[in-house]
Amino acid sequence: MEKVLTLFRKYGWWLAKGVGNTMLIAITGTIVGLLIGLAIGVFRTIPRPRNKFLRVLKKIGDVLLAAYIEVFRGTPMMVQAMVIFWGFALLNGGLTLDVTFSAFIIVSINTGAYMAEIVRGGIMSVDKGQFEGAQAIGMSHFQTMIHVVIPQVMRTILPSVANEFIINIKDTSVLNIIGFTELFFQTRTIASKNYDLFLDYLVTAAIYFALTFSISMIIRLIEKKMEGKKNYKVIGSQNMDAQSFAKELS
Amino acid sequence: MEISEKTQYVSPENDFDEIIRVEHLSKNFGENTVLKDVDFSVRSGDVTSIIGSSGSGKSTLLRCINLFEEPSGGRVLFHGEDVTKVRNKSAYRTRVGMVFQSFNLFNNMTALKNCTVGPRKVLKVSKSEAEDRALKYLAQVGMADYVNARPSQLSGGQKQRVAIARALAMEPEVLLFDEPTSALDPEMVGEVLSVMKNLAATGRTMIVVTHEMAFARDVSNKVVFMDDGVIVEEGDPSQVFTSPKEKRTQEFLARMLAEKN
Ligand SMILES: Nc1ncnc2c1ncn2[C@@H]1O[C@H](COP(=O)(O)OP(=O)(O)OP(=O)(O)O)[C@@H](O)[C@H]1O
Ligand SMILES: [Mg+2]
Repeated sequence: MEKVLTLFRKYGWWLAKGVGNTMLIAITGTIVGLLIGLAIGVFRTIPRPRNKFLRVLKKIGDVLLAAYIEVFRGTPMMVQAMVIFWGFALLNGGLTLDVTFSAFIIVSINTGAYMAEIVRGGIMSVDKGQFEGAQAIGMSHFQTMIHVVIPQVMRTILPSVANEFIINIKDTSVLNIIGFTELFFQTRTIASKNYDLFLDYLVTAAIYFALTFSISMIIRLIEKKMEGKKNYKVIGSQNMDAQSFAKELS
Repeated sequence: MEISEKTQYVSPENDFDEIIRVEHLSKNFGENTVLKDVDFSVRSGDVTSIIGSSGSGKSTLLRCINLFEEPSGGRVLFHGEDVTKVRNKSAYRTRVGMVFQSFNLFNNMTALKNCTVGPRKVLKVSKSEAEDRALKYLAQVGMADYVNARPSQLSGGQKQRVAIARALAMEPEVLLFDEPTSALDPEMVGEVLSVMKNLAATGRTMIVVTHEMAFARDVSNKVVFMDDGVIVEEGDPSQVFTSPKEKRTQEFLARMLAEKN
């Protein structure tokens, strides 16, 4: 116990910075990844254009997106991080991109690939009648998506999105490979100074768990909230029942 | 002025009261021909009932009219313009409302929002005007008390009435109904039919695909009988119901009558 306190006293600031960076990238990466996933979902569901040129464009877009999704889901994020980070440096004449910005880009793109599939499942689970109801009042594909479909998709995919967020909190640890000062990187640095490897990593594990567990709890609360009000108020005192209403009209 | 215009002779080519004209319409789904050379027209104020047995192509005809299905051949004219050729289906669909068998109310919105979202986002009317409209039509279908209810909290009949209000809020020229009461429990059919009867009485132009023979006979002023992808017979309801010319119509009506009893 004594040692834990010393660890915090000596390196608490370092750990805090690690937690800050980890959460920063996990949050922004998940949000941007979700936006990427939603945008892909909107694009992929565009009805088949009548114009031949647009049809070809759409097809090319679909193929490129499918390739993106497969590649980023089919390779480890650690490898993606190296390829993107050093690939950019190569193109840029040896100059590397800002590490934090790189971390943000990598997590966003990686998460986007998973989110695209999650969103696709969500869109498929929306009843076809919802699309037709929207089209029948003249909504465009984009309006249908924004006002009708995506709000319903968000509700169904929330648990999966939360899951991605939690995965991202843990998986940003691989970004230590490009020297990003997230929690794992900080712990490694501390361990190289005090040589108390077991304790250092044990404390870090506890921090990771505290983060993910509290997020889980918050998400569960949000889900409960989103289930919404069970009741509605009937306005007006002389609420007619159906029969008397029918009678009145005929 | 209006009266003198009406009394003038109008040739079918130049009929200003004609809203929709379907010409030589055909539709195939792959090998399967569902509509064959269908001709039919709707004038302002017409209440047209389309009857016929299951699979005869009634829904497909309706869905071709509002371009949910792309016709394989023929034309759909709206005020003389061939809408199958237009790029912007949205603008046309705001003029032709549709009420579905399965309601298709937006699950993520209250009854009020269901009725305001179209006017606001598609027609770009102001929020307050959209709400005025929505309340007016919700009142017309007897659902003004339920503005804050979500679809999942309403009965089938109530949902369908809100769906009718949603279509009305766009103030379309024609309303299409595809078996609006077929998904309802028997005790809720009446409330929806009386709303529709009320609409017909106020001069709404409607095309109604229905299995409710009483509605077709008593409320509409034109009946179209379809069988196997063609219009077999059409005309005045009293004529079609009391003295159908075609054998297939006679058989169908006899069958419907037998089912009822
Ligand atoms: N999207 C589709 N793809 C293939 N075949 C279809 C499609 N939609 C309808 N059909 C076929 O077209 C025929 C006519 O269907 P339609 O729904 O228009 O009939 P209907 O008269 O409305 O019948 P019901 O009274 O059962 O609603 C049926 O044989 C049906 O199987
Ligand atoms: Mg049908």
